[in-house]
Amino acid sequence: MVVPAALTEDQIYHRCPPEMLDFDTTEALENVDLPFGQERMLRALEFGAGMRASGFNLFVLGPSGAGKHELVKRFLASHAAGKPVPSDWCHLFNFQQSDKPVAITLPPGEGRVFKSDMSILASELKTAIPATFESEEYQARIQELQEEVTRRQQKGLFAIQEEANANHIAMLTTPAGFTFAPMRNGEVIEPEEYKTFSDEEKELVEAKVEDLQKKLQQAIQQVPRLRKEVRERIHELNEEMVQLTLGGPIGELREKWSHVPAVVAYLDAVREDVVEHAEAFQDNENGAPAGLLNRYRVNLLVDNADTRGAPVVYEDLPNHQHLTGQIEHRAHQGNLYTDFTLIRAGSLHRANGGYLVLDARRILTQPMAWESLKRILFSGEIRIESLERLYGLATTVSQQPEPIPLNVKVVLLGDRTLYYLLSHYDPDFLDLFKVEADFEDDLERDDDSYLLYARMIATMARASGIKALDRAAVARVIEHASRLAGDQKKLTAHDRVLKDLLSEADHWASEAGSARIEACHIQQAIDEREYRASRIRERSLEQIRRGLMMIATTGEQAGQVNGLSVLQIGATRFGQPTRITATARPGKGQVVDIEREAKLGGPIHSKAVMILSRFLANRYAPMGELSLSASLAFEQSYGGVEGDSASVAETCVLLSAIAGVPLKQSLAVTGSMNQHGEVQAVGGVNEKIEGFFNVCQQAGGVNGQGALLPASNIEHLMLNDDVRGVVRDGRFAIYPLTRIDQAIELLTGMEAGEPDADGQFPENSFNRLVAERLAKFAEVGKKKDSEQENGNGGNGDGSDGDR
Amino acid sequence: MAATEIAESKSTAKAAGRVLILLDGSRLSLAALEAAAEIAAARKAEVLGIFVEEVNLLRSAGYGFAREVGGSSGLARPLDVAALEARMHSLAQQVRRSLEQAMARRGLVQALKLCRGRVADEVLSLVGPEDLVVMGRVGWSGIPGARLGSTARILVRQAPGDVLLWVEPRPRRQERVVVLLNHDQGANHRAVKVGAELARRHHQPLTVLVRMAAGKGQPITEDLMAYLRHEGITARVKLLPMASAVAVARAMREEGMAQLVISRQCSLFGEQGAEALLAAMDVPVTVTP
Repeated sequence: MVVPAALTEDQIYHRCPPEMLDFDTTEALENVDLPFGQERMLRALEFGAGMRASGFNLFVLGPSGAGKHELVKRFLASHAAGKPVPSDWCHLFNFQQSDKPVAITLPPGEGRVFKSDMSILASELKTAIPATFESEEYQARIQELQEEVTRRQQKGLFAIQEEANANHIAMLTTPAGFTFAPMRNGEVIEPEEYKTFSDEEKELVEAKVEDLQKKLQQAIQQVPRLRKEVRERIHELNEEMVQLTLGGPIGELREKWSHVPAVVAYLDAVREDVVEHAEAFQDNENGAPAGLLNRYRVNLLVDNADTRGAPVVYEDLPNHQHLTGQIEHRAHQGNLYTDFTLIRAGSLHRANGGYLVLDARRILTQPMAWESLKRILFSGEIRIESLERLYGLATTVSQQPEPIPLNVKVVLLGDRTLYYLLSHYDPDFLDLFKVEADFEDDLERDDDSYLLYARMIATMARASGIKALDRAAVARVIEHASRLAGDQKKLTAHDRVLKDLLSEADHWASEAGSARIEACHIQQAIDEREYRASRIRERSLEQIRRGLMMIATTGEQAGQVNGLSVLQIGATRFGQPTRITATARPGKGQVVDIEREAKLGGPIHSKAVMILSRFLANRYAPMGELSLSASLAFEQSYGGVEGDSASVAETCVLLSAIAGVPLKQSLAVTGSMNQHGEVQAVGGVNEKIEGFFNVCQQAGGVNGQGALLPASNIEHLMLNDDVRGVVRDGRFAIYPLTRIDQAIELLTGMEAGEPDADGQFPENSFNRLVAERLAKFAEVGKKKDSEQENGNGGNGDGSDGDR
Repeated sequence: MAATEIAESKSTAKAAGRVLILLDGSRLSLAALEAAAEIAAARKAEVLGIFVEEVNLLRSAGYGFAREVGGSSGLARPLDVAALEARMHSLAQQVRRSLEQAMARRGLVQALKLCRGRVADEVLSLVGPEDLVVMGRVGWSGIPGARLGSTARILVRQAPGDVLLWVEPRPRRQERVVVLLNHDQGANHRAVKVGAELARRHHQPLTVLVRMAAGKGQPITEDLMAYLRHEGITARVKLLPMASAVAVARAMREEGMAQLVISRQCSLFGEQGAEALLAAMDVPVTVTP
């Protein structure tokens, strides 16, 4: 097998070709309107924003800081500008059911006009109606009415009185009513004298008295009816007068608003209501009660007079009240009261006919807000319910405004986890948010993208108000963007990280007194940022330097290799070498993963070790028994170990332990391996290599060290300047691996050896040594078995114990 | 002049200027009692309460077939002498208490005269020319909307002195004392004097309305103004054509009338509408002889 050549400087770093950037500074570059490389998301936005069917709301998913919010805002602003302005909405007093204010819609901008019209009308009513009631005409007519009724009341009584007088019977008033008695010359006859009357006379008198009493009873009992009649007639008169007074102003308004039938109907209701409450306006001392006039006010809930195109509303505190609106209360002398004028619009009202942008995480953390949003989107109308009512805490009578029909597109912004969790656990979610707009994390890095990316940087610089970047600085940013993406063929699309880098570089440029941002300022920003986050990395390096953490970077040693691992703390990642050791002795085909036994290893790591042991069994004892009891450990690792990126290193160290062949400690290894011994890609290669390089450098300088990594990881390499320097000088070598044997050859300096047709490895090859050693193990094992004579050993493939 | 005025009023008080108040226990008569007490306190006059047990009523209760028909309900109840007398007695007690309380508060001398007979006759037998009779415009009256009771009718026409027909005044924006005169009547002087006294007591402006045929107004206006200036009262004098009672009532309402003083000899009394006029005015009315 041919040992792979070490990688060249160009292979481990993809430079930005200067000829691709055809400008002096970013000042010369035009802004980009929409980000490039986000076609999938833009198409989703376009589709979602234009789709009319219900449930096609949008969920824009991407990592935090990716610039979702700004992009959505920019997109919607341009998309909504061409759309019609939605209607105004008003709440009006409901004259039939006072606790259920009605809602009416008006063409945009007319809500204000209507509100002012009604306020003028109310003040007119305040003066015009009392004036009508004070008028001579009204006073005279009311007096006539009252006199007529009095006359009619009295007439009956006087008639009875006269009839009584004519029959010589007195009608007398008592404190509680009337009584009749026979009279002579205006005086009641003494009862004693009456006794002397003849029976006929008495009978006559008594019959007449009884008759008069009956008539009087009838007359008195008619009084309530008469009173009612007069009340009705006064009411009719009031109505007539008010109708005449109102005719003018309300007629004008009816004419003016004839294009809105709801307003016309409301004006008619107002007229009826004023007539009904005409008496309340009569009090010319204080004028009409304010409560009465307030009912003719207009609560302009949504005013779109100043809106251009469809509204785009971002609710930064999406709690229940802010979304659905609320009914406020006014405190007056210790009492809370409310009416339809205290109904306040929510962001759903304001966004009605347009777009409502919300942060998914925020709405989910607000009590009931998410449920309310879903309920409203399902029902297609906004019904204002207070939170305490929803919780059943308040049962006081309150306003129940007429629901307002909803036509809004909700755009939720959130990270991917949230989207997938919601899709999985909330059965309503996919019914309501059918359009997923997924942000691309990384952009393609090809010849076309250089200039676009440069324009994007220019746009960012301009938007953030920072200095222009020169060409070299842009090139450095592009290279760093590749490093951030961890890929030579990609550029990061992470908005926040780039903006922060530019802002920091701007700061360092200002410190240095430079008028523009140069490559050195970008580098300084990168270095400073790394330095600020380097405390733990430094501490780790110090432990290695002081020998607390044992890492050898020179010499050879059997059963010991340098693995590479990556630590992520907060937003920073760094690599460091770890010593992996192995032991091997005869046994029952066991490879003990000490990490797993100590419950420090994760499932992927365990899987990798199992693959490794199957690889061993398959390769070195395909037909026979694998008699091996081996162990693997990450030395001085006290946290957990996870991932399969150490499986190449583990295989090498285990084989070294079996064969007793020493491994070069100057090389560190990363890579995962499959059952056939092929090396597969892993993550974090840049950090790993740089981590090992740092350790080598502090252990007495770099000279002949290197790292082994999967060949498929080459395009992920974007190594820093220091590493590139030693690679250029040939002091540090990076070897790409495709098969495990390449690693063995590089680490041992021996030929690995390919098996011949019989499965035999060539003499003096590494694999031959391994196979022979395993055969010896098997022999020892058999001997032991026969000594014990327990007869149930000899399981051919050791499938039970091969772990 | 002020000095003589006081002297004069003292002398009248000493002579016979009592305040007679007719009490029948009705709500309006109790209100009139308060008004009478105010007047008496201002005049430092004696107060004589009069409670008359109507003899006709007592007699009528003596009939076995007598029934009382309720004024509001129209229900007929039996009526007998014992019950009626008990009711009268308790009313008299109540009236006495009210009178004592009202006068004691003001430190006035009072007496209650209980008598039995016809109310108007009994009052006329007690009242002198200098006395003021105060009474509710209506008493116990079952007739709804009644504005002027039978006793008031008789006393207004026959009493030798002034009669104040009391009603509860409604608060108004503008309050004036109005005196209504005929230009050709001899008793004008007394009416104007009573008006002036009322205006002074209540701190209200005074209006004198003079009914007259067209074209004779000037001299009487000047005379009146001179007299009122002399009395130290701000007043205005207005001339009215000889119009109907309703027209006069409107003119008075326009003045913002709170109290009315009218002479019995005013030509209006001779006319058909006199009682209608009094009925239309829901303000206290003083009728002078």
